[in-house]
Amino acid sequence: MMQDVLRLQNLQKSFGSVRALKNASLTLREGEVVALLGDNGAGKSTLIKAISGVFPVDRGDIFVRGEKVSIRSTRDAMDLGIETIHQDTSLAPDLSIARNLFLGREPVNFGWLGVFAPLDLAKLRKAASELLKRVGISKKLDADALVSTLSGGERQSIAISRAMQFAAKVIILDEPTNNLGVEETHGVLRFVKEVRDAGHSVLLITHNIHHVFQVADRIVVMRRGEIVAEQTVADTDLLTVESIITGADMSALLKEARAK
Amino acid sequence: MVQAVMTIAAEDEAPRVKGRSRLMRSPQFSSFVILIILLAVFAVADANFLSPLNISNMMAFLPELGIIALGMTLLLTAGEFDLSVGAVFGLAPVVVMLLVQNGGVDIGVALLAGLVLCISIGAINGLIVTKIGISSFLVTLSMLLVVRGAALYITQGFPLKSWDQPGFFVTLLAGSFNIGSFRFYTSLWWFIGLSLFAIYILRYAKLGNWISAIGSNRNAAVARGVPADTVKIWLFIATSVLAGLAGMISAFRISAASPVAGTGYELEVIAMVVVGGTALTGGRGTILGTIVGALMLRAIRNGIVLIGVPGLAYNIFVGLIILAMLILHALLQKNAARG
Ligand SMILES: Nc1ncnc2c1ncn2[C@@H]1O[C@H](COP(=O)(O)OP(=O)(O)OP(=O)(O)O)[C@@H](O)[C@H]1O
Ligand SMILES: [Mg+2]
Repeated sequence: MMQDVLRLQNLQKSFGSVRALKNASLTLREGEVVALLGDNGAGKSTLIKAISGVFPVDRGDIFVRGEKVSIRSTRDAMDLGIETIHQDTSLAPDLSIARNLFLGREPVNFGWLGVFAPLDLAKLRKAASELLKRVGISKKLDADALVSTLSGGERQSIAISRAMQFAAKVIILDEPTNNLGVEETHGVLRFVKEVRDAGHSVLLITHNIHHVFQVADRIVVMRRGEIVAEQTVADTDLLTVESIITGADMSALLKEARAK
Repeated sequence: MVQAVMTIAAEDEAPRVKGRSRLMRSPQFSSFVILIILLAVFAVADANFLSPLNISNMMAFLPELGIIALGMTLLLTAGEFDLSVGAVFGLAPVVVMLLVQNGGVDIGVALLAGLVLCISIGAINGLIVTKIGISSFLVTLSMLLVVRGAALYITQGFPLKSWDQPGFFVTLLAGSFNIGSFRFYTSLWWFIGLSLFAIYILRYAKLGNWISAIGSNRNAAVARGVPADTVKIWLFIATSVLAGLAGMISAFRISAASPVAGTGYELEVIAMVVVGGTALTGGRGTILGTIVGALMLRAIRNGIVLIGVPGLAYNIFVGLIILAMLILHALLQKNAARG
């Protein structure tokens, strides 16, 4: 049996009177893509922000590879091997691709100088070009190009390759195909599969159910801060999933309509 | 001049790629060209502009605003700014001199007290901006009033009596020396040294990467584990300390501390920084641009008087030239995006 990489148990989070998370529990296994679905405001972003250390949960436990952990900052999450690509883009547009790829984990010389240490620019460029080559976007992109000159899809690819480079155990993507064109969307989805095949676990948030059926192994549905369903993709179909998300039994409605 | 152009090229992110066009488009380069044109115009219009005396005068004054502009550049790059620098420029020497003259405190101890004062002002600015989340415009505007008010109150509005003991610290901050018929102050060394350090920080150090990232997209930087608030607080402190240092240099140079010294400097300094090509919205900062901007504003203020623009009309020209520079940068930026 595959090992549990990440296990969330009864997570709770409130913003004032809004209970964004009520007892959310979820398990992510090694080398699988889990799709997290749910309507706007269901609590998906809140859940992944809690895992990635943007804010602490009010109650509940997080286990990484069976060990209970406390995630108090984004740095904690990164150190545990959890890389997140947030809905509101994760890159600094005024920095080069290379500098973005290593932001927060810059290779430096004379490390004892702390924040005053000089960047190892040669290593930075070399590692960045290698990474771009590995993920197959080096032909189009130069590691020194500013991120502000890239398209949305290119930015998304950069963000994903950054998550990959630190050999993260868990990669979380919050609506990575939002605002992307057809070709760019396929690029991102192909990427998700490659990431999984390389042994990483992926938690994918999306509103596009077709994408889910293309890449996900399992589906988890949230509604009003709770996990309301969990199914393997092989055992379900589009209509069923849609009806769970909205809470209406669409397949029943459809059968009724057909019968008439 | 060729050397200066090459230095500017070296600061550009990727001189190897599309080298020439990128260099031409970089904001600090266009500012540099305009500076040369301005200098040429003033030199032709009035022979005295390039006289040793006039150049010495410009160079005496340049570091005082330039040093503050270095801190302001880093702060603006991180997406914040500080309107209280002119007031700190006035308060620091007033406090130091009062301690020495009325309190009988040793000058070294008094300077240390001044340093602590500047650190505190910067820390308060930074803490309120980052921890309470009020915009730096409002926080530092209030701080400007508090600090300027404090300087006026403790002096009862009068300048302090002159300082006439040349000692070690005066020589260190405001000593002077002659090269040929030019007279320079040690403050020029301070400016050059601090400029080199600031270039290093912004361009080559890990800290500079963080500063640009914070100003460019704060959430992205925080998501990568960059301690954005801590960095900003330290930049507020650095800016405040540099303003105090500049104030001390000025007070020692003219042997007097006035509670109204530095009035309006905050805007002059911000003008220097943005004229040099640093974005007011954060993310894009250039120290070389700021040095060019500081030179340019000094040259404009000096040259305009020399070529005989009436004193009262003088700000019209300064304002128009700043506006023209900003329009130029905006057009270049538009061109460069996705270029
Ligand atoms: N920082 C916050 N302060 C207050 N309320 C918040 C905050 N973040 C989220 N919420 C609330 O929590 C609930 C869940 O929001 P969340 O962003 O997790 O939804 P989501 O499932 O990601 O939705 P979407 O599909 O639209 O991205 C919403 O009602 C939202 O208004
Ligand atoms: Mg969301």
